[in-house]
Amino acid sequence: MTERRRRILLIDDEEVVLDSCLAILEDSGHDVAVASSGAEGLGRALTWSPDLVFIDLKMPGMSGMEVLAELRSLDPTVVSIVFTGFATIAAAVEAMQVGAFDFLPKPFTPDEFRAMIRRGLQQRDMVVERAALRREREALRENFAAIVSHELRSPLAAVQQNLYVTTRELAGVVSEDQLQRLERMSTRIADLLALVNRWLRGFSIDIAPLAESFIPVLISVPVANAVESAQTEAVRKAVEIVTEVDPAAGVLGDGGALTEALLNVIGNAVKYSREGGRVLVSATRRDGKVVVSVADTGVGIPAADLPRIFDPFYRGQAGESHIAGAGIGLALTRRIVEAHGGSIVATSDPGRGSQFVIELPAHRAPAAGLEGPPPQQVSKGEAG
Amino acid sequence: MSERKRVLIVDDDPDFAAGIRAILDTQYDTAMVHNPKDGWEALQKDHYDLLCLDIMMGRGAEGVMMARKIRKDKALREMPVLIITGLREQIAFLFPGQAVHPGFVPVDELVEKPVEPDLLLQKAAALIAASEARHEG
Repeated sequence: MTERRRRILLIDDEEVVLDSCLAILEDSGHDVAVASSGAEGLGRALTWSPDLVFIDLKMPGMSGMEVLAELRSLDPTVVSIVFTGFATIAAAVEAMQVGAFDFLPKPFTPDEFRAMIRRGLQQRDMVVERAALRREREALRENFAAIVSHELRSPLAAVQQNLYVTTRELAGVVSEDQLQRLERMSTRIADLLALVNRWLRGFSIDIAPLAESFIPVLISVPVANAVESAQTEAVRKAVEIVTEVDPAAGVLGDGGALTEALLNVIGNAVKYSREGGRVLVSATRRDGKVVVSVADTGVGIPAADLPRIFDPFYRGQAGESHIAGAGIGLALTRRIVEAHGGSIVATSDPGRGSQFVIELPAHRAPAAGLEGPPPQQVSKGEAG
Repeated sequence: MSERKRVLIVDDDPDFAAGIRAILDTQYDTAMVHNPKDGWEALQKDHYDLLCLDIMMGRGAEGVMMARKIRKDKALREMPVLIITGLREQIAFLFPGQAVHPGFVPVDELVEKPVEPDLLLQKAAALIAASEARHEG
């Protein structure tokens, strides 16, 4: 890494400037390329991936400022420095606001040029390192979730297993009240296990390979499974789940994963509904797509939270904070939907309700060829 | 049929194993070890009618190694194995490209942790009965 030759690209329409820069850099140990126009320079940057780019602001044709902006969008880790004449200092400041690292006023001495290159390359190293750290942090966050979930799961399973036995052994010995307390403990542990399972499924399982085993699935099947799983909580909150499903709507997919995806959305709709509310789950066919909509009459999602609700670990800031959750469900749902070649969008009217719309490519197979998903439980294990 | 069947439990989580054992104790003679090496030794020393095996032991899937070793062993090949796993999907990592339930061999069954007592007893009984039927047939 330290011994690598660095690539420096010079973009200037003045040949004399390019020539003198080349002369200064001759023994620098770096690779240097020159371009005499913005368009040429940008093309060169695309194929050559420079570390450092010097751009003259004042060029005929594509302006230095445009080149700078394009470069930034191409690769924000490339460090750009602008050459400026006496009259363009103001423009240099503007360029720095657009993302240039620094500016070098013309005329400059060889030492000034070399010093600027040193600083530019140091900056490049920092920017690259920062980007790598950011990627690492992302990876760590995902692995962390997976590791923590594993570590949580084992003790929870051990506690639950012993609760099962104890409850069984004490039935008839302890009072009805005590038995109910044991059972409530078991229920809470089961909820926690289900949560950890969702985390594990969300982060340690690569969803993409699912596509290799896609089969025709009638959307009514995962919808019914998801609604059934959400029903316990719905009954508890007196929320009515209404389904309107086109019985012939089919997709190519994985029934278990689709159930999980829908359960997250339907479960949320129930969770954020008020007592006695209503959740409408519909599935229709439209323009070669199967459109699944989940609409609730609940508290809604604040506009500020809406763009980020599909991000992992994002919990609404402005919403009702007492509601439990890990911020995993919708991120996982989006991953599953996208693995199916589909999309998901959310709209909301804060205080009045939200609507999630999932679009999946419709599968046009003869109805007879359509089958339900394999008998795979989502939240509860059962030997197959 | 008067004699109680013997079940060996191999699981590296002693608390979990104890929870399993307490259930199986009601119907079987049970033994319990906490790593594959002790499990293998126990199988060499004594006869067991069923093995309850945690496949996610140690750093990775040491239990899987043990299951494979058993399937290659002439004396143990026919012994039914009840595979107990943390999460069903983990199996998919170990056996990429295969069904979620790998069905190691026809004499195996798979359950997820934690396992309901009735389900555990039912699976254990079914595996032992099927194994006996094979031997009589």
